[in-house]
Amino acid sequence: MPMWIQLLLLAVIAIVLVMFVRRWYGVRMQAGKRIAFFAFLAANAWAVLRPDDVTWLANRMGVGRGADLVLYLLVAGFALATLNTYLRFRELDRRFTELSRTLAIREAELVNRERGLLQAPHEHPAVLPGSRLEQS
Amino acid sequence: MANSDVWVVIPVFNEEQVIAGVVGDVQQVFPNVVCVDDGSRDRSAQRVAATGAHLVRHPVNMGQGAALQTGLSYALAREGGRYFVTFDADGQHRVEDALRMVELARQGGADAVLGSRFLDQPRKVPAAKRVVLRAVVALSPTARRLQLTDTHNGLRVLTRPVAEGLRITMNGMAHASEIVSQLAKARARVVEAPVTILYTEYSMSKGQSLINGVNILFDLSVRQRG
Repeated sequence: MPMWIQLLLLAVIAIVLVMFVRRWYGVRMQAGKRIAFFAFLAANAWAVLRPDDVTWLANRMGVGRGADLVLYLLVAGFALATLNTYLRFRELDRRFTELSRTLAIREAELVNRERGLLQAPHEHPAVLPGSRLEQS
Repeated sequence: MANSDVWVVIPVFNEEQVIAGVVGDVQQVFPNVVCVDDGSRDRSAQRVAATGAHLVRHPVNMGQGAALQTGLSYALAREGGRYFVTFDADGQHRVEDALRMVELARQGGADAVLGSRFLDQPRKVPAAKRVVLRAVVALSPTARRLQLTDTHNGLRVLTRPVAEGLRITMNGMAHASEIVSQLAKARARVVEAPVTILYTEYSMSKGQSLINGVNILFDLSVRQRG
Protein backbone atom coordinates (compact mmCIF):
# COMPACT_ATOMS: atom_id res chain seq x y z
CA MET A 1 0.00 0.00 0.00
CA PRO A 2 1.44 3.40 -0.93
CA MET A 3 2.09 5.83 1.85
CA TRP A 4 -0.57 8.41 1.14
CA ILE A 5 1.12 10.89 3.43
CA GLN A 6 4.25 10.76 1.29
CA LEU A 7 2.24 11.50 -1.84
CA LEU A 8 0.48 14.36 -0.09
CA LEU A 9 3.67 15.96 1.21
CA LEU A 10 5.45 15.54 -2.12
CA ALA A 11 2.46 17.18 -3.81
CA VAL A 12 2.77 20.17 -1.47
CA ILE A 13 6.48 20.47 -2.25
CA ALA A 14 5.67 20.38 -5.95
CA ILE A 15 3.08 23.13 -5.53
CA VAL A 16 5.60 25.26 -3.63
CA LEU A 17 8.14 24.79 -6.42
CA VAL A 18 5.68 25.71 -9.13
CA MET A 19 4.50 28.78 -7.24
CA PHE A 20 8.12 29.75 -6.69
CA VAL A 21 9.06 29.99 -10.35
CA ARG A 22 5.73 31.09 -11.80
CA ARG A 23 3.94 34.32 -11.46
CA TRP A 24 0.90 32.73 -10.05
CA TYR A 25 -1.47 34.98 -8.29
CA GLY A 26 -4.64 36.75 -9.21
CA VAL A 27 -8.33 36.36 -8.56
CA ARG A 28 -8.41 32.59 -8.88
CA MET A 29 -5.38 32.18 -6.65
CA GLN A 30 -6.80 34.59 -4.11
CA ALA A 31 -10.07 32.64 -3.95
CA GLY A 32 -8.16 29.36 -3.66
CA LYS A 33 -6.20 30.65 -0.71
CA ARG A 34 -9.36 31.80 1.04
CA ILE A 35 -11.11 28.48 0.53
CA ALA A 36 -8.00 26.69 1.82
CA PHE A 37 -7.99 28.91 4.87
CA PHE A 38 -11.61 28.12 5.75
CA ALA A 39 -11.03 24.43 5.14
CA PHE A 40 -8.09 24.69 7.51
CA LEU A 41 -10.29 26.27 10.20
CA ALA A 42 -12.96 23.62 9.75
CA ALA A 43 -10.38 20.83 10.01
CA ASN A 44 -9.06 22.42 13.19
CA ALA A 45 -12.52 22.51 14.76
CA TRP A 46 -13.10 18.89 13.74
CA ALA A 47 -9.77 17.78 15.19
CA VAL A 48 -10.52 19.52 18.49
CA LEU A 49 -13.97 17.99 18.78
CA ARG A 50 -13.08 14.47 17.62
CA PRO A 51 -9.33 13.79 18.07
CA ASP A 52 -9.86 10.08 17.40
CA ASP A 53 -10.88 10.88 13.85
CA VAL A 54 -7.46 12.43 13.24
CA THR A 55 -5.78 9.25 14.45
CA TRP A 56 -8.06 7.20 12.20
CA LEU A 57 -7.15 9.41 9.22
CA ALA A 58 -3.47 9.20 10.12
CA ASN A 59 -3.61 5.42 10.16
CA ARG A 60 -5.35 5.37 6.81
CA MET A 61 -2.55 7.54 5.39
CA GLY A 62 0.23 5.43 6.79
CA VAL A 63 1.14 7.69 9.71
CA GLY A 64 1.28 6.18 13.20
CA ARG A 65 -0.31 8.87 15.32
CA GLY A 66 -2.73 11.70 14.70
CA ALA A 67 -0.30 14.16 16.26
CA ASP A 68 2.32 13.23 13.66
CA LEU A 69 -0.13 13.85 10.84
CA VAL A 70 -0.94 17.27 12.28
CA LEU A 71 2.77 18.06 12.48
CA TYR A 72 3.40 17.05 8.87
CA LEU A 73 0.53 19.14 7.64
CA LEU A 74 1.74 22.03 9.75
CA VAL A 75 5.15 21.87 8.07
CA ALA A 76 3.54 21.83 4.64
CA GLY A 77 1.23 24.69 5.58
CA PHE A 78 4.16 26.69 6.92
CA ALA A 79 6.06 26.27 3.67
CA LEU A 80 3.10 27.52 1.66
CA ALA A 81 2.53 30.46 3.99
CA THR A 82 6.20 31.44 3.85
CA LEU A 83 6.19 31.34 0.09
CA ASN A 84 3.02 33.39 -0.04
CA THR A 85 4.64 36.03 2.15
CA TYR A 86 7.77 36.02 0.01
CA LEU A 87 5.79 36.60 -3.18
CA ARG A 88 3.81 39.35 -1.51
CA PHE A 89 6.99 41.08 -0.36
CA ARG A 90 8.48 40.87 -3.82
CA GLU A 91 5.44 42.50 -5.34
CA LEU A 92 5.54 45.23 -2.70
CA ASP A 93 9.22 45.74 -3.45
CA ARG A 94 8.43 46.17 -7.14
CA ARG A 95 5.82 48.83 -6.42
CA PHE A 96 8.07 50.59 -3.97
CA THR A 97 10.82 50.72 -6.59
CA GLU A 98 8.45 52.25 -9.15
CA LEU A 99 7.35 54.88 -6.67
CA SER A 100 10.90 55.76 -5.58
CA ARG A 101 12.08 55.94 -9.18
CA THR A 102 9.31 58.32 -10.18
CA LEU A 103 10.07 60.59 -7.23
CA ALA A 104 13.83 60.42 -7.78
CA ILE A 105 13.57 61.40 -11.44
CA ARG A 106 11.14 64.23 -10.77
CA GLU A 107 13.38 65.60 -8.03
CA ALA A 108 16.46 65.19 -10.22
CA GLU A 109 14.92 67.17 -13.06
CA LEU A 110 14.38 70.07 -10.69
CA VAL A 111 17.85 69.82 -9.16
CA ASN A 112 19.67 69.47 -12.47
CA ARG A 113 17.70 72.39 -13.88
CA GLU A 114 18.94 74.53 -11.03
CA ARG A 115 22.46 73.32 -11.73
CA GLY A 116 22.06 74.60 -15.28
CA LEU A 117 22.24 71.18 -16.92
CA LEU A 118 18.66 71.10 -18.15
CA GLN A 119 16.58 73.58 -20.07
CA ALA A 120 13.45 74.67 -18.29
CA PRO A 121 10.33 73.65 -20.17
CA HIS A 122 8.34 76.68 -21.22
CA GLU A 123 5.23 75.97 -19.24
CA HIS A 124 7.10 75.92 -15.92
CA PRO A 125 8.95 78.68 -14.08
CA ALA A 126 12.72 78.42 -14.49
CA VAL A 127 13.42 77.69 -10.85
CA LEU A 128 11.08 75.72 -8.65
CA PRO A 129 11.37 76.08 -4.90
CA GLY A 130 12.11 73.34 -2.42
CA SER A 131 14.56 71.27 -4.40
CA ARG A 132 17.94 72.83 -3.68
CA LEU A 133 20.69 70.24 -3.42
CA GLU A 134 22.92 70.59 -0.41
CA GLN A 135 26.40 71.38 -1.66
CA SER A 136 29.45 70.14 0.17
CA MET B 1 29.75 68.69 -29.79
CA ALA B 2 30.89 65.15 -30.50
CA ASN B 3 28.94 62.33 -28.91
CA SER B 4 26.15 64.62 -27.77
CA ASP B 5 23.75 61.87 -28.82
CA VAL B 6 25.27 59.52 -26.23
CA TRP B 7 24.14 59.21 -22.62
CA VAL B 8 26.34 57.46 -20.08
CA VAL B 9 24.49 55.96 -17.11
CA ILE B 10 26.57 55.35 -13.98
CA PRO B 11 24.98 53.67 -10.96
CA VAL B 12 26.75 54.92 -7.83
CA PHE B 13 26.77 53.34 -4.40
CA ASN B 14 29.31 54.47 -1.81
CA GLU B 15 31.99 55.52 -4.30
CA GLU B 16 33.01 58.91 -2.89
CA GLN B 17 36.72 58.16 -3.34
CA VAL B 18 36.64 57.59 -7.06
CA ILE B 19 33.38 58.82 -8.57
CA ALA B 20 34.49 62.38 -9.36
CA GLY B 21 37.54 61.04 -11.20
CA VAL B 22 35.50 58.51 -13.15
CA VAL B 23 32.95 61.15 -14.18
CA GLY B 24 35.77 63.49 -15.18
CA ASP B 25 37.32 60.84 -17.42
CA VAL B 26 34.00 59.95 -19.03
CA GLN B 27 33.10 63.58 -19.69
CA GLN B 28 36.31 64.10 -21.63
CA VAL B 29 34.60 62.05 -24.34
CA PHE B 30 30.90 61.91 -23.53
CA PRO B 31 29.32 65.21 -22.40
CA ASN B 32 26.06 63.63 -21.21
CA VAL B 33 26.50 61.66 -18.01
CA VAL B 34 23.83 60.74 -15.48
CA CYS B 35 24.91 59.35 -12.12
CA VAL B 36 22.28 57.54 -10.09
CA ASP B 37 23.18 57.70 -6.43
CA ASP B 38 21.60 54.59 -4.99
CA GLY B 39 21.16 55.82 -1.44
CA SER B 40 24.87 56.05 -0.67
CA ARG B 41 25.77 56.51 2.96
CA ASP B 42 28.91 58.46 2.11
CA ARG B 43 29.30 61.74 0.24
CA SER B 44 29.04 60.26 -3.26
CA ALA B 45 26.10 62.52 -4.17
CA GLN B 46 28.00 65.66 -3.18
CA ARG B 47 30.99 64.51 -5.22
CA VAL B 48 28.77 64.04 -8.26
CA ALA B 49 27.11 67.40 -7.68
CA ALA B 50 30.53 69.04 -7.95
CA THR B 51 31.01 67.59 -11.44
CA GLY B 52 29.15 68.32 -14.66
CA ALA B 53 27.13 65.11 -14.47
CA HIS B 54 23.40 64.91 -14.01
CA LEU B 55 22.52 63.57 -10.58
CA VAL B 56 19.55 61.39 -9.70
CA ARG B 57 19.25 60.30 -6.09
CA HIS B 58 17.34 57.27 -4.90
CA PRO B 59 15.75 58.09 -1.55
CA VAL B 60 16.86 54.68 -0.25
CA ASN B 61 19.22 51.98 -1.45
CA MET B 62 17.44 49.80 -4.01
CA GLY B 63 20.24 47.92 -5.76
CA GLN B 64 22.30 48.31 -8.91
CA GLY B 65 19.62 46.99 -11.25
CA ALA B 66 17.13 49.55 -9.97
CA ALA B 67 19.73 52.31 -10.32
CA LEU B 68 20.46 51.35 -13.93
CA GLN B 69 16.77 51.42 -14.83
CA THR B 70 16.37 54.80 -13.14
CA GLY B 71 19.35 56.22 -15.04
CA LEU B 72 18.06 54.84 -18.33
CA SER B 73 14.58 56.24 -17.70
CA TYR B 74 16.07 59.64 -16.91
CA ALA B 75 18.33 59.62 -19.97
CA LEU B 76 15.56 58.39 -22.28
CA ALA B 77 13.38 61.31 -21.17
CA ARG B 78 16.02 63.76 -22.45
CA GLU B 79 15.85 64.75 -26.09
CA GLY B 80 18.50 63.79 -28.60
CA GLY B 81 19.86 60.65 -26.96
CA ARG B 82 20.42 57.84 -29.43
CA TYR B 83 22.97 55.66 -27.66
CA PHE B 84 22.91 54.70 -24.01
CA VAL B 85 26.02 53.45 -22.26
CA THR B 86 26.06 51.70 -18.89
CA PHE B 87 29.30 52.24 -17.03
CA ASP B 88 30.47 51.15 -13.59
CA ALA B 89 31.32 53.79 -11.00
CA ASP B 90 34.38 52.11 -9.51
CA GLY B 91 36.75 52.93 -12.35
CA GLN B 92 37.06 49.39 -13.72
CA HIS B 93 36.05 50.36 -17.26
CA ARG B 94 38.08 52.25 -19.81
CA VAL B 95 36.47 55.17 -21.61
CA GLU B 96 38.21 54.22 -24.87
CA ASP B 97 36.45 50.84 -24.76
CA ALA B 98 33.11 52.60 -24.40
CA LEU B 99 33.97 54.90 -27.29
CA ARG B 100 34.90 51.95 -29.49
CA MET B 101 31.63 50.22 -28.62
CA VAL B 102 29.60 53.35 -29.45
CA GLU B 103 31.36 53.55 -32.82
CA LEU B 104 30.46 49.91 -33.38
CA ALA B 105 26.80 50.67 -32.64
CA ARG B 106 26.93 53.74 -34.92
CA GLN B 107 27.95 51.55 -37.84
CA GLY B 108 24.48 50.07 -37.54
CA GLY B 109 25.39 46.42 -37.29
CA ALA B 110 24.14 45.96 -33.75
CA ASP B 111 21.29 47.09 -31.51
CA ALA B 112 23.28 46.35 -28.39
CA VAL B 113 27.03 46.05 -27.83
CA LEU B 114 28.09 44.25 -24.68
CA GLY B 115 31.56 44.40 -23.21
CA SER B 116 33.34 41.12 -22.60
CA ARG B 117 36.52 40.64 -20.63
CA PHE B 118 36.93 37.13 -22.03
CA LEU B 119 37.28 37.85 -25.75
CA ASP B 120 40.80 39.17 -25.29
CA GLN B 121 43.30 38.04 -22.71
CA PRO B 122 40.99 36.13 -20.37
CA ARG B 123 44.01 35.24 -18.25
CA LYS B 124 44.01 38.70 -16.76
CA VAL B 125 40.76 37.93 -14.96
CA PRO B 126 41.32 36.60 -11.43
CA ALA B 127 40.68 32.85 -11.21
CA ALA B 128 37.78 32.94 -8.71
CA LYS B 129 35.93 35.55 -10.77
CA ARG B 130 36.52 33.56 -13.93
CA VAL B 131 34.87 30.50 -12.37
CA VAL B 132 31.82 32.43 -11.14
CA LEU B 133 31.28 34.36 -14.35
CA ARG B 134 31.77 31.30 -16.54
CA ALA B 135 29.29 29.35 -14.41
CA VAL B 136 26.65 32.08 -14.75
CA VAL B 137 27.12 32.09 -18.53
CA ALA B 138 26.99 28.30 -18.70
CA LEU B 139 23.74 28.18 -16.75
CA SER B 140 22.03 30.85 -18.83
CA PRO B 141 20.25 29.48 -21.92
CA THR B 142 20.01 32.91 -23.55
CA ALA B 143 23.70 33.62 -23.03
CA ARG B 144 24.49 30.36 -24.77
CA ARG B 145 22.07 31.06 -27.59
CA LEU B 146 23.50 34.53 -28.20
CA GLN B 147 26.97 33.02 -27.81
CA LEU B 148 27.96 35.48 -25.14
CA THR B 149 31.10 35.00 -23.13
CA ASP B 150 30.49 37.47 -20.30
CA THR B 151 26.99 38.35 -19.14
CA HIS B 152 28.01 40.25 -16.03
CA ASN B 153 30.01 43.03 -17.60
CA GLY B 154 28.85 46.51 -16.58
CA LEU B 155 29.92 48.13 -19.86
CA ARG B 156 27.14 48.08 -22.46
CA VAL B 157 25.96 50.25 -25.31
CA LEU B 158 22.25 50.20 -26.14
CA THR B 159 20.51 51.93 -29.00
CA ARG B 160 17.39 53.89 -28.19
CA PRO B 161 14.77 51.33 -29.30
CA VAL B 162 16.47 48.64 -27.24
CA ALA B 163 16.89 50.89 -24.20
CA GLU B 164 13.23 51.91 -24.40
CA GLY B 165 12.18 48.27 -24.42
CA LEU B 166 14.18 47.33 -21.33
CA ARG B 167 12.34 46.80 -18.05
CA ILE B 168 14.88 45.90 -15.42
CA THR B 169 12.98 44.40 -12.51
CA MET B 170 15.78 42.54 -10.76
CA ASN B 171 16.97 45.19 -8.37
CA GLY B 172 20.03 43.26 -7.25
CA MET B 173 22.92 41.89 -9.25
CA ALA B 174 20.83 39.48 -11.34
CA HIS B 175 19.85 42.40 -13.56
CA ALA B 176 22.79 41.64 -15.85
CA SER B 177 21.33 38.28 -16.88
CA GLU B 178 17.90 39.85 -17.04
CA ILE B 179 19.12 42.47 -19.52
CA VAL B 180 20.59 39.75 -21.71
CA SER B 181 17.41 37.69 -21.69
CA GLN B 182 15.28 40.73 -22.53
CA LEU B 183 17.61 41.59 -25.39
CA ALA B 184 17.21 38.04 -26.65
CA LYS B 185 13.43 38.17 -26.32
CA ALA B 186 13.29 41.48 -28.20
CA ARG B 187 15.29 39.84 -30.99
CA ALA B 188 17.88 42.60 -30.73
CA ARG B 189 21.10 42.15 -32.65
CA VAL B 190 23.61 41.70 -29.86
CA VAL B 191 27.36 41.69 -30.37
CA GLU B 192 30.16 41.49 -27.86
CA ALA B 193 33.22 43.71 -27.91
CA PRO B 194 36.44 42.96 -26.07
CA VAL B 195 37.07 45.29 -23.15
CA THR B 196 39.79 45.51 -20.57
CA ILE B 197 38.79 45.54 -16.94
CA LEU B 198 41.11 47.50 -14.70
CA TYR B 199 41.31 45.29 -11.65
CA THR B 200 42.51 47.84 -9.17
CA GLU B 201 42.58 47.01 -5.50
CA TYR B 202 39.66 49.37 -5.09
CA SER B 203 37.44 47.73 -7.70
CA MET B 204 38.42 44.24 -6.50
CA SER B 205 37.13 45.03 -3.05
CA LYS B 206 33.74 45.91 -4.55
CA GLY B 207 33.28 43.45 -7.38
CA GLN B 208 31.33 40.25 -7.57
CA SER B 209 32.57 37.71 -5.13
CA LEU B 210 31.91 34.01 -5.06
CA ILE B 211 29.18 34.61 -2.49
CA ASN B 212 27.52 37.05 -4.84
CA GLY B 213 27.45 34.32 -7.47
CA VAL B 214 25.17 32.32 -5.21
CA ASN B 215 22.87 35.31 -4.82
CA ILE B 216 22.73 35.83 -8.56
CA LEU B 217 21.78 32.22 -9.18
CA PHE B 218 19.07 32.38 -6.51
CA ASP B 219 17.59 35.60 -7.87
CA LEU B 220 17.50 34.19 -11.36
CA SER B 221 15.84 30.96 -10.29
CA VAL B 222 12.93 32.80 -8.73
CA ARG B 223 12.45 35.56 -11.25
CA GLN B 224 9.09 35.83 -12.86
CA ARG B 225 8.88 34.01 -16.13
CA GLY B 226 6.59 34.42 -19.07
